[in-house]
Amino acid sequence: MSSHREAPEISKDPVADNTDVYAFVSPDRPDTVTLIANFIPLEAPDGGPNFYEFGEDVLYEIHIDHNGDGVAEITYQFRFQVQVRNPSTFLYNTGPITSLDSPNWNRRQFYSITRVDDQGHSTTLASGLACPPCNIGPLSTPNYAELAQMAVHKLASGETVFAGQRADGFYVDLGAVFDLLDLRPFQNLHVMPRHPAPGVNGLEDVNVHSIAIQVPKTLLTQGGYNPTNPHDPRSVIGVYASASRQKALIFDGRGDMVESGPFVQVSRLGEPLINEVIIPMGRKDYWNSQDPRDDRQFVEYYQHPEVASLLPALYPGVFPHLAAYNKPRADLVAILLTGIPSGIIPGFQNFTGKTQADLLRLNLAIPPAEKPNILGLLGGDLAGFPNGRRVFDDVVTVELRAIAGLTIPLVDPHFKPDAAASVVSDFSPPQIPPGVHYKQQFPYLGLPFSGFDVPSA
Amino acid sequence: MAKVTRRGFIMQSSASIATIGMLAALPTLSAAPEATEAAVAELPAVTNSVTELPAVAAPLSAPLIAHVSDLATGEISLLVGTQEITYRDSELVTRLLRAVH
Repeated sequence: MSSHREAPEISKDPVADNTDVYAFVSPDRPDTVTLIANFIPLEAPDGGPNFYEFGEDVLYEIHIDHNGDGVAEITYQFRFQVQVRNPSTFLYNTGPITSLDSPNWNRRQFYSITRVDDQGHSTTLASGLACPPCNIGPLSTPNYAELAQMAVHKLASGETVFAGQRADGFYVDLGAVFDLLDLRPFQNLHVMPRHPAPGVNGLEDVNVHSIAIQVPKTLLTQGGYNPTNPHDPRSVIGVYASASRQKALIFDGRGDMVESGPFVQVSRLGEPLINEVIIPMGRKDYWNSQDPRDDRQFVEYYQHPEVASLLPALYPGVFPHLAAYNKPRADLVAILLTGIPSGIIPGFQNFTGKTQADLLRLNLAIPPAEKPNILGLLGGDLAGFPNGRRVFDDVVTVELRAIAGLTIPLVDPHFKPDAAASVVSDFSPPQIPPGVHYKQQFPYLGLPFSGFDVPSA
Repeated sequence: MAKVTRRGFIMQSSASIATIGMLAALPTLSAAPEATEAAVAELPAVTNSVTELPAVAAPLSAPLIAHVSDLATGEISLLVGTQEITYRDSELVTRLLRAVH
């Protein structure tokens, strides 16, 4: 998956597991940027009676680096708290929930948001902000869209925030990827050939918990610069999210636990699929503990990605040029660790300097696309991945094609990509699978699937 | 409306814990076993008597957890609230080692 259960330790700690990060210029409010960090992978919509919620003991953060040093100059922190109305019932709700203060809603969650600047100064922007309930079903949450909208909060400081359950917008043929990369519908070309079949979305009908914040661009850029020139370095920001836990945890033997000490990072995410498929098993937990500014230590895995050697082996004769290419993959290092400099793609750059860091790099001066292409830059859409990442971007196909060699000519014009590199995709042709849905407005991810309706009869 | 939160529960519990002081010693056993055994063999015997501690200057509002982070140097990390204070006390570490063997 993008970063769902991507490392051994975090796969056992879902509430702290950062599954996806998105950063894009808001299509309906282009003077703002929307940042989204998702947590809690693969939520079954009917997963009651203890429906999903954020961790009270987790520090959730969205970080923004605006000067290219791989260190956040601005961090938004989110802390959550549960309130139980009646601990004597096992029920999440005792009647229809029609408002965020409904007396029928037994287990509510609230949060605070704090902005930390590069001097370490913290400003609490708001507290006591209500999350929406999970989408239980038509009797319990009869007008879910309205409930969710009530949980969109506009802050006096200029930001708009939402934290709560949404439909997972990421899509991937998970079963195929992890069954020896038996990509549907290309199975007939696999070293163990089988009859071609259409792709299957492994994240169909699952929910996730999202923290979304929409921020005026000038609150994020260096010196409050209003980004209008795509080639101005100040137009580019780097974004990543993280989850941290306190250093010590002791179960007290009475059904509770004691936590103490400073927060330490247990999950992080910038670009999709990095810890998932670039970083090897033995270093995944360590990678999660590290800061982006120190990602130079992982550069060998970008230069020689395992998937690039698997493709020719699993698809004999399909990737001969890729198989013969043995230089370090400078194209992947640029795209994923430093950004793409000016002069390579006309009218575009998202270069943040020499510091190699896993950040989602977004050029804020690139306006939203009128007709977005889910293949982003590979599809000629400068507003899409890897220029930031929109909720609908087909990041699996983009990265798969890049690793397959399609982007090598950006740095090595003599290389001729294999024909398959521009065809291989997660779904064929590249598409948003049926059932995956989004919203046109903040927070852009679709309403969560209802527990009553999913799984369906 | 009853407000029940785990964090709130912890804070309530901590008040009583703090009055008696809570020291959760978690020795790091990553040191070489033979080195640990040798160190323990040289430890003085531990008696069952409880050393009288001086009165705490100020009560803690959060649990105190001590982590022996380095047996060889006697380094102890004190975790309280969101702080971590590191100091060395080889004598205390020696006594703790004796207590767990």
